[in-house]
Amino acid sequence: MAASITALRRGTRVSDDLSSVRALDAPQAWMQAIAAHRDRAAFAALHRHFAPRLASFLARSGGPTDVEELVQETMLTVWRKADSYNPAQAGVATWIFTIARNLRIDALRRAGRARPPEPGPLDDVDDAADGEALMLAGEREALVRQALGQLPPEQAEVVRLTYFTEQTQAEISRRLGVPLGTVKSRLRLAAKRLSVLLEPGR
Amino acid sequence: MTPHHHPSDDTLMAYAAGALSAGPRLVVSVHLSACAHCREAVRAFEAVGGALLDSAPPAAMADDALERLLARIDAEAGLAQVVPLPSARPRAPTTPDGIPLPAALARHSISPWRKLPDLQWARVILADAPDANVILLRIPAGKPAPRHSHTGREFTQVVYGGFSDGRDHYGLGDLTEADQHVDHQPLVDAEGECICLAAVEGRLRIHGVGRLLQPFIGL
Repeated sequence: MAASITALRRGTRVSDDLSSVRALDAPQAWMQAIAAHRDRAAFAALHRHFAPRLASFLARSGGPTDVEELVQETMLTVWRKADSYNPAQAGVATWIFTIARNLRIDALRRAGRARPPEPGPLDDVDDAADGEALMLAGEREALVRQALGQLPPEQAEVVRLTYFTEQTQAEISRRLGVPLGTVKSRLRLAAKRLSVLLEPGR
Repeated sequence: MTPHHHPSDDTLMAYAAGALSAGPRLVVSVHLSACAHCREAVRAFEAVGGALLDSAPPAAMADDALERLLARIDAEAGLAQVVPLPSARPRAPTTPDGIPLPAALARHSISPWRKLPDLQWARVILADAPDANVILLRIPAGKPAPRHSHTGREFTQVVYGGFSDGRDHYGLGDLTEADQHVDHQPLVDAEGECICLAAVEGRLRIHGVGRLLQPFIGL
């Protein structure tokens, strides 16, 4: 594994035998079917997997947001934009996460918690999508799951609160009843650990 | 151009999670537009969001959730195709004398520039968060910015020229974060003037003569 992480950082091939890693996973195959011919059975399968997870993910934001409507909006956007999904850039779950995140920021803004709908940084930039990148995106998803599993519980908790609730450090501090400095240092440590695993050396 | 100073990992994570407030979010997005490295890091932190979503416990859904969604899709398909107007990309803003400012500012408004002998500044009024404290600062070559500290974090992106703050040097494309423990006085490079985009959480404290500025800058 260490070797493959090093290879990943250098942006080189992890393995010469790409056929095994190149196979699309089920959500990617569904996305491809939706993009290629508006396949409703594939969309139903995607919905069956992601809608209940989106609902629980979004329910925790606790804000004045209509969860059911946000889930619908997210899945509707998935349908509309299916052909812009690029498996070389992100796994399907990551792509859907960014859609839900942007819609939630927008909903919170409309609800009066002012946060503007800046386009995501990745919306503007069309980085090359080749087979190697496709493999790297898949590798990254696997590394992420592993890295998350290795975080100490108190760090994993503040990371979850940051992603699930989009709360600022100060809000998390109030919610957990721990000092702001503690929240800051837990987030810093968690972000550091994750970035060491995930990023090419800075 | 490769920036040398980047947002911290936890700032990039908060950005990817959607947890940065509007002002810092704008400043970080300006940095990202010029920094492939940080874009890649944000992508990785977005993958963290994807993994958390994928492992979220499924919630109970209404039986007819998919049915209603498909009905919406059908309703949309029945409508005449609306041809979107060619997205007239708003022109990138400039200073009054034509120095280009980040394109990301085009969707927001910039107040008229105010002038003191060694300092010009303008407020950036965010379209959707008019209360956010975001300013453009323009300081002549070799001059110091007013000495200041802050009650919250400050995010400063260099959009023209460069400065030093006693800790380090910052050039075009660099982003520096300072928290309430930093009490600093940036000094602009001797070679030329400097323009920065800064977002401040909480209140900014300006010391000494600069205190006179406080009501004008309005932070």
